[in-house]
Amino acid sequence: MLSLGSGGAKSTKPSFVSYVTPEEIKSEKDPSKQEKHPDLLPGEVEFCSANPILKYTQDDLSQRGVFGTLFCTNFRVTFISDERPLEKKAKTFKNKLYGENDIPLMCVDHIYGVYEEKRKPITGALVKNKNPSKMIIHCKDLRVFQFCLTYSKEEDARKIFQGIAHHCLEEKSLKCVFAFSYMGTPSPSPEMPRKQETIMFDSPEDWTREMKRTKANCRLVIENENFELSQRLPKYFVIPLAIGDLFSYQGKGLPIWCWSHYSGCALFKASFLPVTQEDGDFQKHLDTMINAVAHNHLYSVKTEDLSESLPNIQDIQQSYNKFKQFFLIENSTDFWLSDVKWFSSIESSGWLDIIRQCLQKAVEVVECLEKDNTNVLITEEEGTDLCCVISSLAQIMLDPYYRTLMGFQSLVQKEWVAGCHAFLDRCNRLHLKDKECHSPVFLLFLECVWQLVQQHSPAFQFSETYLTVLSDSVHVPIFSTFLFNSAHHRENIMKAESPLAQSGPLSCPTVWDWSVQFDSKAQNFFFNPLYLEKVKHDRAVRKPHKPKHQRHLSLPSSAFKTPLKKGFFKDEADSLKKMLRVKRLSRWRGSPDAPAATTREFYESWQNRPLDYHGLLLPYLDGPAVRVWMQRYLRWIPEVYILGGGSMAVMTKLMELQNQVQDLKRALEQRDPSQAAELDHRPYLQQRLLSFDSSGRLSSSFPFAYTRSRNFKPSIPIALMQSLMLTDSLACQEDEASSVVSFV
Amino acid sequence: MMSHSSLHAHGRDVFGLCCLPGECVLQRAVLVRKKLSAKEGGGWLSGTLFCTHFRVAFVPQDSQKPDDNADPVLLGDHDVALASIDKVVAVGPSRTKLVTPTCSLKFTPEELVLYCRDLRVLCFLFDRLTPDTQALEITYTIAKTYQPLKPGTILSFQNAALGSIEMKQFLSNRWHDPNMNWFECSMGWEQELERTGASGWRVSSVNDRFEMSTSLPRFSVVPQRVLDTELKKTFAHFNEGRIPRWCWRHPHGSDLLRMASFQNNIYHEKDDIRNLESVLFGGQQLCVIVDLGEEMPSPADIQLAHTRLRTLCLGDISSSVSVPDDKWLSTLESTRWLDYTRCCLRKAAEVACLLGGGHMTVVLQEPEDRDMNCVVCGLVQVMCDPHCRTVPGFQGLVQKEWITAGHKFLSRINYHRESDKEEAPVFLLFLDCVWQLWAQYPTRFQLTEDYLLALHDSVHLPLFSSFLANSQRERCRRSQHLPQSYTPVNGLRELPKGAPEEPVDPPFPPVWDWALQYSSLRRSRFTQPVSQPACPPPVLNGNLNTNQDHGWPNDGLPGSVFLLSRGTFSHPSNLLPWRSGNSGSYWKSHRRAPSSESLSGLERLIRACSLSEPSENPSTLHDPYEPLLPLLLGPCVRVWRACYLRGALHAQAFSHPASSCSQHPLDQLAWEVQQLREKVAQASHRHPENQTKRQEPLRLESNLNQNANNGTFLFSSSSRTSQQQPSSRGAAHSSVIPKAQRTASDPPRPVQRNNGKHTFLFGHQQEPQSGLRYIPSPSAKLHKRPGNSY
Repeated sequence: MLSLGSGGAKSTKPSFVSYVTPEEIKSEKDPSKQEKHPDLLPGEVEFCSANPILKYTQDDLSQRGVFGTLFCTNFRVTFISDERPLEKKAKTFKNKLYGENDIPLMCVDHIYGVYEEKRKPITGALVKNKNPSKMIIHCKDLRVFQFCLTYSKEEDARKIFQGIAHHCLEEKSLKCVFAFSYMGTPSPSPEMPRKQETIMFDSPEDWTREMKRTKANCRLVIENENFELSQRLPKYFVIPLAIGDLFSYQGKGLPIWCWSHYSGCALFKASFLPVTQEDGDFQKHLDTMINAVAHNHLYSVKTEDLSESLPNIQDIQQSYNKFKQFFLIENSTDFWLSDVKWFSSIESSGWLDIIRQCLQKAVEVVECLEKDNTNVLITEEEGTDLCCVISSLAQIMLDPYYRTLMGFQSLVQKEWVAGCHAFLDRCNRLHLKDKECHSPVFLLFLECVWQLVQQHSPAFQFSETYLTVLSDSVHVPIFSTFLFNSAHHRENIMKAESPLAQSGPLSCPTVWDWSVQFDSKAQNFFFNPLYLEKVKHDRAVRKPHKPKHQRHLSLPSSAFKTPLKKGFFKDEADSLKKMLRVKRLSRWRGSPDAPAATTREFYESWQNRPLDYHGLLLPYLDGPAVRVWMQRYLRWIPEVYILGGGSMAVMTKLMELQNQVQDLKRALEQRDPSQAAELDHRPYLQQRLLSFDSSGRLSSSFPFAYTRSRNFKPSIPIALMQSLMLTDSLACQEDEASSVVSFV
Repeated sequence: MMSHSSLHAHGRDVFGLCCLPGECVLQRAVLVRKKLSAKEGGGWLSGTLFCTHFRVAFVPQDSQKPDDNADPVLLGDHDVALASIDKVVAVGPSRTKLVTPTCSLKFTPEELVLYCRDLRVLCFLFDRLTPDTQALEITYTIAKTYQPLKPGTILSFQNAALGSIEMKQFLSNRWHDPNMNWFECSMGWEQELERTGASGWRVSSVNDRFEMSTSLPRFSVVPQRVLDTELKKTFAHFNEGRIPRWCWRHPHGSDLLRMASFQNNIYHEKDDIRNLESVLFGGQQLCVIVDLGEEMPSPADIQLAHTRLRTLCLGDISSSVSVPDDKWLSTLESTRWLDYTRCCLRKAAEVACLLGGGHMTVVLQEPEDRDMNCVVCGLVQVMCDPHCRTVPGFQGLVQKEWITAGHKFLSRINYHRESDKEEAPVFLLFLDCVWQLWAQYPTRFQLTEDYLLALHDSVHLPLFSSFLANSQRERCRRSQHLPQSYTPVNGLRELPKGAPEEPVDPPFPPVWDWALQYSSLRRSRFTQPVSQPACPPPVLNGNLNTNQDHGWPNDGLPGSVFLLSRGTFSHPSNLLPWRSGNSGSYWKSHRRAPSSESLSGLERLIRACSLSEPSENPSTLHDPYEPLLPLLLGPCVRVWRACYLRGALHAQAFSHPASSCSQHPLDQLAWEVQQLREKVAQASHRHPENQTKRQEPLRLESNLNQNANNGTFLFSSSSRTSQQQPSSRGAAHSSVIPKAQRTASDPPRPVQRNNGKHTFLFGHQQEPQSGLRYIPSPSAKLHKRPGNSY
């Protein structure tokens, strides 16, 4: 019962005692079987099913479980319990698309089969072998499911196991993704009005508006509307004014505008291939590009090759794989064991360090924009991975607009979706064998944002729950947002698909249409009750710095680890120097640790100003400041639920308080609209959250954990539990003695 | 307060610094800027820096002129006492130097960094306009006068602070806070017995003159049926005479006791045995001895861990080296500090579960009974007793389990640098454990992190009687206070007036006199903006025990004893020395074997407690006595950032963001509510016909809230918010803005004082007036209706 070894493997002899044989269960359940069908989404098709399947409750040492039916559809793997749910409480935070026992096919990370006490990862080859007795599914949102297949009929079990393995793990074409079936159904769920507020950046107007908002002085390129320039470039994009010739090199090295600082300098990103010396023409082309960037503002530019200074996407993938293992808990024993070396094992995965490096890099970029007012050009081979991370982070730090919910969604849309991040490849949607291109880059970005959110929570309109939900939604194969590799890819696929749907232009829901997943009540959890609205007179606090009128040329310094062997940056610097006749800035020439020192200086000068939540925001990067995203990683582990405690308890109370404020405002509005107007600056929460009160005490993993499956574990750790078991036997030994005593 | 007029003359104002009586300014530097932490708002504050022979004081430029009539305050908000300074570092144009009393600087410091023993780091920046000599001189002066690690210097420091006649007089007239239990007289203990509903116990003054045990307090609680004469015989059987003493009763009817280890080489007379048994069992039939000797960290371990933690958090000051960020977590792990925290919490959680069973005595045993017993005993009560999570309750707890119980504060803190071997921050470990509980259940505490932090910092200030003695006996001696002249009427300390010449030591105030150290603004942050805890009435004889059948066999015979050690229950034969071996004739004659029924019962009990699902069971859902069981897994135990990391070497850590329930959003929301209320009030004044319509939804909501929040502290009724002034902690705001608003709407009225009690943001139901900071306008009165309707 209390096997301390690697618990998952030693489970062939479950101590669960079934008082009925499987046959009995079968006959018993047969009549009701017809009713047990999952509520299919429009377009969802059931592939296969098996009954009875035992689903282990994850958190219990005793291998207990629930009997039910396991289905596999073209959207998800779902388990329906035989037990009638006891007067189900309406959950406050319920996903409309999938429930607690559903796993969208895309969300499946790994499947393991337990063969004679040995856990083996399932690959295509193993599927043909005999059935495992137990199937363990690890999800990408870190849930773990364990199903026992031995109780159902041999062929049923085989069918369901192979079906699941096939649909989850085999390579498949994009057309098979559920989004296309879902979309194709005649009545996709009622009217999906696109949220007006989220700017989609799929029209020239959106870009023009964004340029106007940031006062950018750049040029909108619409020549790529039909992807004639390059298939890797967005449909519309913005480039420095000085670039004349667009059509060379398929847009390679083309600096794409991201954001403009109020001083006039701007952030650009580009895909730069590492260039060899011989390739003179291309070299020249790049020089022109860099010069064009420099022309944007004050003839200054700072280039930054991210592939040199940050871990590459494989490193990120490896590190994340290591990291997530600590949270994929098959049974509590494993978790107790991992506890001993908790901090050092977290550290050894290196994931937190990668987060720190990304934030650090973003701070450096911010420093150039904010303090030196130089243009910044970040480059990378593809220009769509780490470039997106760094540019988005820098924008969040600099621009309070992106810290609102709508602003953040627009930012993701701008940098990631329109910016052609290869979501399809990076998330391994199609289970391609080619492991090279999988990498949780977007998750890394969300992690970094979470660090900012938890460090400066009043500055963000959205909550960590929002980020967690967003990180889950990446794996729900319904949304067009995360389904494609580039704008061209999207256009192509959508065009090819559109004849199927007769109703004009095809629109598959974007993830920003949260009503597809959550009702308005649940969406309230996306808002941070602590968000500090902008007050009008705030402006005076931080006056924009006077733009310095000295010309800068910041060279990529050794901190940015541009080795000389490349020769590339050196030449660029020289040519620039010749052309612009500017001086090097002395501090960039300094000793290797000089940049760190200046960054620190920058930090300190930022800290010396009073913290303004609507101004520049920098993350803290030292050891204790970068933390584990508890809500995302620990939400399914009952051992760490704090019942009635945690930050959630405070948070919900605050939300209540905020609701009250809104009530009052509404009341005031009725009575005296003139006064109300000046106060009304808080996002309006659609519905009151009365359900808080009825649900009694919340655990710290609210709103994700399901109270029903929660099993309050001993706060007294394992030693005591063990001893209880020991005393059990002790008590048995002393039975004789007690029989004597009981007469006394 | 009697003779304040005599003091007024002595609140001297020197260059804007309000000096203590007798305090002289040694050096002063103008145009200095002080770095503010994030909690203080970040950025810099300019003003004047002073060094007196008691403290380093900083007076902000635009600070209000000190009120001459105010009580003398030892330390202002920006001050630091010389005794809590650990290191002085001067930062020059290109280098930093650790300044010692003897060294000389070869450069003019631009920045002065003071590293404090309590892990604060204060940073002062000299302006270019600060005269060089001033900058140099004040650095030297501080370096020379701060307390180097030399025995004896502490006394001059104390005298500097408290030695003046005015100060002595002032202190002698301070009242003990009547809201908390001081446990210094038998009344205190009787109150505690009454509060917890314990019966069968009495307060014994057998140790009144410290004749039985020098380390025990003068009063202890023992079973009623044991007479003093019988009791006297038991002292010899315990190490240092620390007999089993009652500490607390769980509402389910169990009693918590603590004792030192048994003296083994002593003959047990038959009478002795009877007395020992009754002392141990109280009125119960089952006794579980919890051994805190072996698996808990030793004081040396704690000291080592704390030193390491300190180095990790502050870095190596002299060489400016800190742990690289990517190795921070593993280094933290290797300090083992968190392991020790966990260890204590775990033990306390076990005991808390055990006590929940009812009808037994749980006796904490430690060889000395002066370290871990204090920690665990205190933690158990914080977990189980909501009263101990309020400020007065917690102070009472520390008085009871630490100060009067004889924790060796003086040796453990090692103020005099005379007991290096014994130095160990056991009390700080306890505070860290309480903080862990607070961090996991912030809404169930009335006290706040700020309070714990204040207590943490005060430990490093050698000015308080609470920490300046190893036992109650020393404390009594010091105050020249003979036990027989003690009048336990109202806990007043009566210092002989007009005869203060002979004591060498100045009269030390207790640490609980917070007004001496903290401004009212900061004191208001000691409590959550909550209602007074609704303390459930005491339950006599454990009537609350709705638990499973715990009819422990009650046959008038001596009961069973079990040992809980390493998480295991057992019954070793030599557990009670008098029951074992050859002296066990008494035992044999009664033919009692340990009842395994009880054993399995115990085990069932812990299992029930730990496995039950409280939320499934509506009766226990809001049981205020439901223990706060901390989660102790790796990700749940955290570093107390606000304490250990506030002065980290890394500049960034200066402004670590406040924790999740940081104050200003809360204040802001509360403000908003307040503003809106007033506006609604104004508006409804104009349109009174709308009045009733608008009341309806609110009433509904407030009722709901009230039902749901019975057992929790924070926001116990959100409807009350409406009528309350937002915050007492935001006193700075409330002193300014409401006035403005009031003058706008109706004539200013005197602020209503509520007889010395704290005001809370969300006051409690029964006394709607008590929390009010302002008198509502006639129109606002109408809004009280929902509040009064239930």
